[in-house]
Amino acid sequence: MLSILELERKVVKTDLCTNCGACQGMCPYWRSYEGRTFVDYECDRKEGRCKYFCPRMPADLDALMGKFFNAADVIPQLGPVKELYLTRAADPEIRANAQHGGTVTALVELALAEGFIDAAVLSKAGAAGEADGSGTLDPAGCLVTDPAEVRKCGGSSFQIPPTMAVLNEALKDDVYKNIGVVGTPCKTLAAYKMMAKPFEDNENNADNIGMVFGLFCGWGLDWKGMEAFGDGAHVDILPSKYHRMDLDDKQIDLDEVLPLVRKNCNYCYDMTAEFADLSVGGARSSEGWDVDKGWNQLIVRSEKGQKLVELAREKGVLEFRSFGDADAKAAAFDKLKKAAASKKAKAVEALLEQGSDLGYLEPSRKAFEEYIK
Amino acid sequence: MTTKNEPGKTYLMQGNEAIVRGALEGGIHFASSYPGSPSSQVLGMLGHIAEKMGFRAEWSTNETTALQSCMGASFANARSICIVKQNGLLVQSDTIHCGALGGIKGGLVIVSSDDPDSHSSTNEFDSRHLAISANIPLLEPATVQETKDMIPYALELSEELEQMILVRVTTRICHGRGGVKLGELPEKRPFTPIGEWDRMVGINWLHSFLLEKLERARGAFEVSEFNHYNGQEDAKKLIITGGTGMKYTLDALEDIGIQDEVGVLSLGTLWPLPEKLICEYLRKAEKVLVVEEVDPFLEEHIAAIAGKYQIPVEICGRADILPKIGELNPEVVTKALKEFAGVADDAKAPACGGEGCPAAEGLAIPERELTFCAGCPHRASFFILKQALRREGNHGVVMGDIGCYTMAGQRAGQYGYHFMSCMGSGISAAEGLGQLTNYGFDQPVVSLCGDSTFFHTVVPGLINAKMNNANILHIVLDNSATAMTGFQPHPGTGETAMGYETEKISIQALCESLGCRVWTADPFDVEETTQLITDLIRTKGLKVLILLQPCATLAAKTREKKKVWVDTDKCRGDNCGCDRYCSRVWGCPGNVWDFEKDCAAIDEVVCVGCGVCAKICPAGAIQVEEPDGAKAEKGGEA
Repeated sequence: MLSILELERKVVKTDLCTNCGACQGMCPYWRSYEGRTFVDYECDRKEGRCKYFCPRMPADLDALMGKFFNAADVIPQLGPVKELYLTRAADPEIRANAQHGGTVTALVELALAEGFIDAAVLSKAGAAGEADGSGTLDPAGCLVTDPAEVRKCGGSSFQIPPTMAVLNEALKDDVYKNIGVVGTPCKTLAAYKMMAKPFEDNENNADNIGMVFGLFCGWGLDWKGMEAFGDGAHVDILPSKYHRMDLDDKQIDLDEVLPLVRKNCNYCYDMTAEFADLSVGGARSSEGWDVDKGWNQLIVRSEKGQKLVELAREKGVLEFRSFGDADAKAAAFDKLKKAAASKKAKAVEALLEQGSDLGYLEPSRKAFEEYIK
Repeated sequence: MTTKNEPGKTYLMQGNEAIVRGALEGGIHFASSYPGSPSSQVLGMLGHIAEKMGFRAEWSTNETTALQSCMGASFANARSICIVKQNGLLVQSDTIHCGALGGIKGGLVIVSSDDPDSHSSTNEFDSRHLAISANIPLLEPATVQETKDMIPYALELSEELEQMILVRVTTRICHGRGGVKLGELPEKRPFTPIGEWDRMVGINWLHSFLLEKLERARGAFEVSEFNHYNGQEDAKKLIITGGTGMKYTLDALEDIGIQDEVGVLSLGTLWPLPEKLICEYLRKAEKVLVVEEVDPFLEEHIAAIAGKYQIPVEICGRADILPKIGELNPEVVTKALKEFAGVADDAKAPACGGEGCPAAEGLAIPERELTFCAGCPHRASFFILKQALRREGNHGVVMGDIGCYTMAGQRAGQYGYHFMSCMGSGISAAEGLGQLTNYGFDQPVVSLCGDSTFFHTVVPGLINAKMNNANILHIVLDNSATAMTGFQPHPGTGETAMGYETEKISIQALCESLGCRVWTADPFDVEETTQLITDLIRTKGLKVLILLQPCATLAAKTREKKKVWVDTDKCRGDNCGCDRYCSRVWGCPGNVWDFEKDCAAIDEVVCVGCGVCAKICPAGAIQVEEPDGAKAEKGGEA
């Protein structure tokens, strides 16, 4: 079957497509518009990088993880974990624009400044067509090389722009040899699929991917309908008991927001971006949201990630907050594991509803056996 | 040679030239046409000589206005000729019916060129049926000579009967060549003033006169020299031919060697049929084969005559031993004649001009789809439209029209058509479909037309769309030319058939005067125009977008050609990341594949240097240089 047809049938038409952009930026065939990925014209190749890079095409995820991470670090619900921290950017200016604590922005700035990476692929809220790049509507991927530009990409739009297309273009150009990429779990998985070089003679310079920063993700929102809420600079989804999304000062009932959740997010098994050097989300410690507000939890997954975090500590770029005692930290871990496991269970249920097997997770069936009811 | 006054001298002429010569020998004062293949050239030629020969020739906005102009001239006893193709004749249908009822004064001949096998048409409609419906006389020449001879004869007869006459020709007559013995060029006859009580009015109380005229025509046809017989006088096997059927038949008979066994009655006066003449031969025959182009027109009416006069004769033709559709050719006629005459035939039956046709045997003609010329703006327009529509989750519906862009239904236009019918149909069909968006239909509706088609019949459709608050995007593909038929002037080009300048009519101003919202864009600005179309598709109501870019064939004549070449180091060829995007998807004949180097190349002979392929090349490998060697545009990156 043609590569584009296979991808269209298995991913796009089944509503599995996350619009991550991993299939784009390499050729003129795959494109994305307003959050939807589609084929412009038909490519007639049987083997294409698009289908190998797609995070929703079947792949043995355990084998992929084994290739890049220390097996001893792997926790079934959370992927490889070397350490868990509560952190926030030390710079209040970064925090002011952040969804939570601005940890990712601070780390990427540092990574660029200290040469961990020479460019960063980020998502900019309201970047497409907006000169000032502000606002929640119509976000887009962008390539940043100046550390000062990084903080303009802070915050979240809760939509999934095809950022990986920007990465693919940057890799294709082969100008930057150590590119950092920030993305939701679907995007970081795609980055590792690229780094695994499944397409031997045409790997799009995947070795130029230097670091991967994962973002915790519950779900993303569709483009269409977002404009109803108006534009804003700061979005946050509050913990579930509040049942609400905040857009600047506006408080929006989650019932109005949930219909806009991308269908593909129901099939996602990964809340914490298990494929990454560092993964960052909102702090949800046992002490409660009010206490955690403005803080991130940061999972260190690789040695490279650990080094950057240590440097951030030394340079005072990040502030660290204690979980309290060992019990409190264990409780925070448990809370995180429970939430991540719940995401996996929902994904398995949705996949089984859709097909006769686990679909894109079928090659990794063993890891998901416990969630099959 | 069409204007030489050398009676008796023979020249080699194309059928279309023979029509021109015939019109001159018939002493025309007025000629009009809307271009349509295969007879598009006729009025162009008439336009060139009109000044010199002292008559008026004009391109009309459509066939109806063309015929009505002729009728107006006829009122002053001027002789006129109106040249159309089969579709054009159908466009004239109402005018012909009403006009026939009212009758004419000066001779008026309509030449309708049919296109069997639809070489340059969307159909192979048979014009002849309209003569019956409108009760007007019908002639069809069998040779180029007869074509020339028939026009003055028809003009003369038309005047005598005070009735317009239809002359049907077919592609092989129009484009074929033959020796034509010239007749005399007459002195121009003066016009007749129209008196206070003179009338040309089509009204039903003239119905009986209409039929009387037809009977008078039949009388003339019984003795017409355009009906002739070849072969043994009392042949039991009779072949009746119309038009080109005669030549095919005579050739085939000679090939088979049975010319002495059969008789051939070639009819040139097809309606009303000369019944007495036909009966005379039917009575001698046992078996009749009718050989004619497209429909079994003669076949059925001859069967009716046989029935009416109780002549026991077996009649065959298109209904059985000849193919039911398509153009005649030597092979199918030979095969049918063998079957008719009982001669053994071991050759496999070939389809009309199709695969296995022995005429093409040994000629390695590659199979090619119809396509847009190199550098054609339509290619860019449909490329853009496809991109814009694919951005929409539920693909839009594209309602097309008639012109070069009709080929958009094929690869040339990214298979961009969902609907195509006749001239002017796109916008009105879109209007109807678009109205359903008020009742739950939720696909965007786009209609398209060219600039000549816009003036031809789209204007009333646009007014209808405006009046009814249509929810459509109407795109005018304005290439400033009636390109398909050979660059005839139209109201937007600012010139006339006789070469005079005339004020250009602006499509934009016309649309705006109707209160339409109008946008203009350049299809060569691929990205910007794609975004504009995306936005317009999402805008409710009637939107008109004029995509302006002159026809590449016209532009190539005036513009200095930019040099376009492929940087083979950059070209990704058929690797993942390109897959021959320029030659396989974009599909311009100028973008070719170099099988030796395994990469893209430019056919420098075909390329017109528009440089659009450089904008779409995903590797930025296509380079464009200004004629002086400067680099014109940087190739885009995707």
